[in-house]
Amino acid sequence: MPVDWWTRQRHYFLYMLREFSSVPMALWLIWLLWEIKRAGSGAAHYYPPRSAVFVAFSVVVLAFSLYHSYTFLKLAGVIIRIKVFDRPIPPKVIVATMFATWAAASVVVGFVLWWFSR
Amino acid sequence: MSTEKQNSRPALSHLFFWFMFAQGGVITALLLPVHVLLQGILGPLGLVTVADQHYDTWVEVLGNPLVKLYLLVLIMFAFFHFAHRIRYFLNDLGFHAARSVAAEVVFYGGAVVVTLITIWILLTTAPMSFG
Repeated sequence: MPVDWWTRQRHYFLYMLREFSSVPMALWLIWLLWEIKRAGSGAAHYYPPRSAVFVAFSVVVLAFSLYHSYTFLKLAGVIIRIKVFDRPIPPKVIVATMFATWAAASVVVGFVLWWFSR
Repeated sequence: MSTEKQNSRPALSHLFFWFMFAQGGVITALLLPVHVLLQGILGPLGLVTVADQHYDTWVEVLGNPLVKLYLLVLIMFAFFHFAHRIRYFLNDLGFHAARSVAAEVVFYGGAVVVTLITIWILLTTAPMSFG
């Protein structure tokens, strides 16, 4: 198979984009780990992350991260099979539940990050 | 009997890595975007106050044992997911060595190393407190 097979169809390209999304997300989490580590260096050496380069990097990572969330949570409707009273729950309901959980989790995590900043 | 035993070994490891991959995928999907949005964009731009914008508040949040546990779960599962995905991504790009046992050791071993580093950082950075 030619190396550039994934550039020939939009569907294949999006598939590879989804696979690639792990790379920027991994880089961002390594940054987060570094950010946690820096908290141990003392107040005098700590400087908050505010550079334009970092914000630009995060914007790119957010785009990949949202794409991962959208595709992965949508996949749940295909993979998860649950029966209630012998009736299978429709995939649409499962996907809607996953997206609602995503929204709820984002609110909780966001609240904690904000609450501790006061 | 012995053949059955031998055959069950790769299946069990497959089951484990698929479990880690799937859980990592869900955890990353549910939790990562809000971290990137707040800590990577809105906080640095000064549009929202976020804990890591000040030393005191960042150490306070990191000192909470539940936060430490949460960060460990997030980072550990995410990296097992990434290890699996990047391995298959490289294979799809034509690097078939990415599916070898050696590559498995490197990628999943990398996830284990990141997990151990995370544990070390979380335990040595901010002193634990429930306040």
